[in-house]
Amino acid sequence: MSGEEKGDGALKRFGRSAKEFLYGMAGHDMTRFALKTRGSMEHLFILITMGDLLGIPILPPYYSLRLLPYVVPQISTWKRRMLRERDLTDALA
Amino acid sequence: MNAIVVLVIGALGIGLGYGWYARRIDRDIVQPDPKKATPAKMYMDGVDFTPASRNVLFGYQFKSIAALGPIGGPIVAAQWGWLPALLWIILGTFFIGWVQDYASIIVPMRSEGDTFGALSYKLISPRARSILLIFIYLYLLLIMGAFGQVIGVLFLSKPAVPFGILSVILMGLLAGQMTYKWKQDIILTTVITVVVAFFGIWLGQTGFISGIFEGLNNALGAGGVKIFWPIVTMIICYLGAVLPIWRWAQPTNYVSFWIIALGMLGGVIGMIIWHPSFGDFPAFTGWSVAGLGPLWPILFVTIACGAISGWHSLVSSSGTARQIEKETDALPVGGGAMFMEMALGVISLLTATAATGGWDAFKEVYASGKFGVFAVGLAAFLSHIGIPTSFGVPYGMVFLTIMGLTIMYLVVRFMRVASAEFLGDTIPALKNIHVGAIVALILSLIVIWTGVWQTIWVLFGGANQMMASLALLIVTLWLMSQGKKYAWTLWPGVFMYVTTIAALGYTGIKALMAAFAGTKVTGNIIAGVVALALIACALILGYDGGKALMRKGEAVPAK
Repeated sequence: MSGEEKGDGALKRFGRSAKEFLYGMAGHDMTRFALKTRGSMEHLFILITMGDLLGIPILPPYYSLRLLPYVVPQISTWKRRMLRERDLTDALA
Repeated sequence: MNAIVVLVIGALGIGLGYGWYARRIDRDIVQPDPKKATPAKMYMDGVDFTPASRNVLFGYQFKSIAALGPIGGPIVAAQWGWLPALLWIILGTFFIGWVQDYASIIVPMRSEGDTFGALSYKLISPRARSILLIFIYLYLLLIMGAFGQVIGVLFLSKPAVPFGILSVILMGLLAGQMTYKWKQDIILTTVITVVVAFFGIWLGQTGFISGIFEGLNNALGAGGVKIFWPIVTMIICYLGAVLPIWRWAQPTNYVSFWIIALGMLGGVIGMIIWHPSFGDFPAFTGWSVAGLGPLWPILFVTIACGAISGWHSLVSSSGTARQIEKETDALPVGGGAMFMEMALGVISLLTATAATGGWDAFKEVYASGKFGVFAVGLAAFLSHIGIPTSFGVPYGMVFLTIMGLTIMYLVVRFMRVASAEFLGDTIPALKNIHVGAIVALILSLIVIWTGVWQTIWVLFGGANQMMASLALLIVTLWLMSQGKKYAWTLWPGVFMYVTTIAALGYTGIKALMAAFAGTKVTGNIIAGVVALALIACALILGYDGGKALMRKGEAVPAK
């Protein structure tokens, strides 16, 4: 909790909590889905361009190298996501 | 007995359960550390692992776990009298329900975000994962059967309901278009779509519109209605399962949320203003109810989600556990949402007992359609805040229909992925999303058309509770592997395991005997076979789980 939040009155904190709760029920799923869609697209793009990192050479290395600086910040999360073991229960998330 | 007294008893249950028992377990046994990095932080990828505040997750968890279960179960179980139902809702949540939901977040959170499929592979045995997935598929088929019958056979066949559903769906589509394509403000989108949806529900019960559907039902005849409306339900589910999520499922769920939330709020306010008594509604009617069976084990599976539910463990482990920001958030999110669902179960019980006004009135409404009890009860509560009953009853039915559809979209999606995964290599056509979805829907239709509703509901409850006991088994194994006290998950798990095996066995054998006697042969044979298949899966998992418990027990001193 930040200093500003600590200084807030109980009513204000309750109002913020209620707002977050309402958002969690109504809109959080939509936000998650939008993030998932963007993430999946980005990861697909990285797979196509940087597939060599996982042993899947798709694009000639020249182009991969040209794109590398733009992709570097996402490589670690991308590799983790691509290589993470999944099963059907993931589909319920 | 008065409704307010029951509410106070429920509040005491929550105060003691959450404020004392749950906090004690959390503090003394699990010992969450707010400074420890959770998978949501460690593996944050903005896709599966993303931290969210506990208030947001509390709302998300509650929305994900609350469907028709906590509403339908208490109404059916009221046939044993209000006392056994109330006791099971409160004590079930107190000792088992929150334990499962909370632990289903804690274990994946402490296991790098693994789902229960992966955990069963690691903690029980390699085959446990495959068996668990077969079990889950059958369980989801029963959800489709139970919810599909409620929606297709009971509600959509009422002339005042279909136009309301159509309005909500159309407004959902408009909400999707306004949000994602026209980039409109969310408040403007919400106001327009929700107001028009409410107007549509009101319009649906007017003489002209309901007359059209009445004419259609008359033309179809009694048999045709039972075939036609389930097909309509499955078409809605098909669109929800194959169209892009942003186009159909998500925006309709969003508009539905407001319809449901406002109804619940209005209902609770109306009930508090009215504070009706139970009249001559009996506290206990006997140890056995005709058509359902004996109190033990059937009551404990009839009231599923209001007391404990395996569905929650799937949602908690696959979705919520990967979004927990701090370990200390697991209790308010998992435990808190379960206690809130318990409150929903208590309110549902009150619609059956207090709102109907007495035993004879309850039996009369129940006989005309089990879930109609909730709609009638909600309408009675809403009438005390000035909403006419002529609108309240169809509104209650629309409320329940959209609550069920929200889950059914997800279930069909899952069944489609499951069939592609299991049989995609043997039958490549199943990899096609349309074929996978249609196969799932045809199977669901067979269950809906041929099944006996009470049997399907009890089987659904049995599978649901069995899933919960398997989740508790996995949690117990994890606790043993960590050298922590495990009695608080082991004994609830054992109780649920024995109870659900007994309930599934009783219902399965009863269904098979009814089939041999020539009653609803196809439906009863399907129900019997599904029950026996679920028992077989549960026994294998129990056997492997027992062996794993022994292994762990030898390695770690018993506590």
